[in-house]
Amino acid sequence: MKTRFPMVPFRELLLNRRRVLEETAARGTKIVGYFCTYTPIEVIHACGMLPVRIWGGSGQAEKAYNLVPTFICPYMRLVMEKALGGEFTFLSGIVQGYTCDVACGVVNVWKGNIPGELYHSLPLPYNDSPESRAFLKAGLDETIEKLTAIGGVYSEESLGRSNELYGKIRGMLAALYERRMQGALELCAADLNVVMQAFFTIPPELFLSMLERLTGDLSAAVPGVRTGVPVLVSGGIVEDEGVMTLVEDLGFSVVADDLCTGLRAFIPVSGPDASPMDRLIARTMMRFPCPSRSRPPQRIPLLMDLVRTSGAKGVIFLLQKFCTPHLADHPMVARALRDAGIPSILIEMDGDNGLEGQAVTRLETFAGMLEA
Amino acid sequence: MDTARRSTKRLSTAKELAQVVAAYYLECHQARVEGRPIGWMPPMNGGIEIFYAMGLQPVFPENWSPVCAAFGLTPANFEVSEGMGYSRDLCGYLRNITGYVHGDMNGPSVPLSGLPVPDMIMSFGGGCIPAMKIFHILENRFPEAKVFRADIPQVAVEDIRDHHVDYAVSEMHRFIEFLERTTNRRLDPEKLHEAVALSDEACGLWDEIMSFRRFRPTPISAAEIGIMFVMVTRQGTKTAVDFLTRVRDEVAERAASGIGVIGEEKIRLFWDNIPLWYNMGLFNYFEKAGGVMVAETYSAAWSLRLDTSDPIRALALKSLMSYSLVSCLSIDRRREMVLKACREYGIDGAVFHQNKSCVPITLGQADIRRALADEMGIPSIVIDADHMDSRNFSMAQFQTRADAFMEMLLEKKGA
Repeated sequence: MKTRFPMVPFRELLLNRRRVLEETAARGTKIVGYFCTYTPIEVIHACGMLPVRIWGGSGQAEKAYNLVPTFICPYMRLVMEKALGGEFTFLSGIVQGYTCDVACGVVNVWKGNIPGELYHSLPLPYNDSPESRAFLKAGLDETIEKLTAIGGVYSEESLGRSNELYGKIRGMLAALYERRMQGALELCAADLNVVMQAFFTIPPELFLSMLERLTGDLSAAVPGVRTGVPVLVSGGIVEDEGVMTLVEDLGFSVVADDLCTGLRAFIPVSGPDASPMDRLIARTMMRFPCPSRSRPPQRIPLLMDLVRTSGAKGVIFLLQKFCTPHLADHPMVARALRDAGIPSILIEMDGDNGLEGQAVTRLETFAGMLEA
Repeated sequence: MDTARRSTKRLSTAKELAQVVAAYYLECHQARVEGRPIGWMPPMNGGIEIFYAMGLQPVFPENWSPVCAAFGLTPANFEVSEGMGYSRDLCGYLRNITGYVHGDMNGPSVPLSGLPVPDMIMSFGGGCIPAMKIFHILENRFPEAKVFRADIPQVAVEDIRDHHVDYAVSEMHRFIEFLERTTNRRLDPEKLHEAVALSDEACGLWDEIMSFRRFRPTPISAAEIGIMFVMVTRQGTKTAVDFLTRVRDEVAERAASGIGVIGEEKIRLFWDNIPLWYNMGLFNYFEKAGGVMVAETYSAAWSLRLDTSDPIRALALKSLMSYSLVSCLSIDRRREMVLKACREYGIDGAVFHQNKSCVPITLGQADIRRALADEMGIPSIVIDADHMDSRNFSMAQFQTRADAFMEMLLEKKGA
């Protein structure tokens, strides 16, 4: 792995994230874990706590199988494995916006097996109406109530500040992605993956300063000429930057994505001007849709728009094995792409160590097909 | 022994079920002839009582899957859906109904004439993800159908607060408005009250029937669970109440007369998770060694008493609670339910079906098993299978585990 100079702090931080978070917790900051980006991290932060997306990473699951079946996604299996191995002792609890059945179940399994103060699944509305927004507000109020019960201190002003902070970060991430689409970003897909993982893991104030430095360094750089077949990568969680490296080493250039660990985490960057709570609610309702919370016809035009805007010649679906929301939508989405003349390929990630040989061969063939 | 086998039923009322099932599907097809609008909907929600109260015809595609399994149609349906690109890792209900609606839906080889095409689809956000995705697929398959997009909060039973109920109530009102607008029919509050009262009566009867499982020997076993069909498709009708009354009377008589399921009941067993619809005979497997599958978890979701003084709120609560009671939304509550059932029914051992087609019920089983062992000293086994896809079930492996388990239980009990 070649590490470009501006990326060094991000990679170092990821390597040391557990120690950094343990020190943060030791200094008295409560850390609340979450799995999915539909979790309202702004309210956690506004309560004076640090929201951290729990990582599964790589490795083999063993102990986890005493508590969860083998047929759940590798991300959740490995999260459980690490939790049982004591990786997340810095957490005070988990708050999770309901998106998939497995994440919800794992919160409850966690509750029965890993010590903590708070385990909360927040039901999110699927429709957007005045009633559903009122329902979401009540759910967010309940979440705040539970966070304050374990020591959080909340005010509307603090939510306003958290909205601003995360909005600024998301805006800068969106700008990086925009530059990538224009072929004017030196960072490769693996670099961006690392940046995103840092976003999920470290205090946002620290991340913002690192991001500003990175953006400044990149501004001074002459845009490189992109090589490789331009593709869009779509899917759920891709935690292993090595997967992205492999994809680009096979002759692709990732010009856009529709990933949980990518674009879906920061689009839209913010809600419209309103009270802090209404702004947060509006952003939640306007999210770039995840299959777990939308119908294919809602997502397909957005995906096609991304393909056209980015100049991608094809789509690589990189899905976690057993991921029901993505797998259930895939046939309809792939057919719509095919009908529009956009080729795609489905790669399921099941291995604990990146992509397996067969997937590599298929990707090589796909690259050849797109180049022809 | 094959991977597909029907259960052996002892209740004469359970043997009537074939007629009850046939009558329901006949009624579904008659609805088209009689001009009663047909709506496809998920089970376990309050939409069914509203449908019957308005004289509309509810159809449950999820319930069609066990029928397909019983008639051996699933392999052909799987072939269609898998050919379309639906992964074998997806829930068998989803793959089966997807294959069915994209195949020869009402062809001559389809039993009961299949399902009538929907005029309306009640597609929802809520429940489990596969159930939700089934309806997204159906929306796409039947573009002519009017679609109601429902929203039911996914919340644990013990965490339900006023705002969850209020939102569910507002969704019920929106649903009624949709039906009235789409079908040009009005919902008569009296008829809704009547439907809710009948539904509650059916639940009361269901609870009563289940309570006879505490008798030794038990007069009813999990092999008769097919009677649940009326709880899924006939809630809110007199048909369900009449049928369950007959079942209750028969079970009560057997209990009073000391008539059990088998000659000598030595071991009382408990089943967790959905049955193998293509092999209901599994429930009878333990009988050769004196084991009876006295009870199971899946039926609990169909029994929720309804407050008839406020029908809409009662249906909203039912919609909120049904899924939660049998899923990983509420592992604490499920654990309580299993422990309570095992205590009341005097269970000796439990069989946990680790179900590849149902993650929401499978997640949490390890915690429940541990609680059974630690708090009640009840041993259990895990069998790997799938409620729809027989390719994910090995009879030989099951037999090996089940036989060893029974041997251990008999030895423990000194039977």
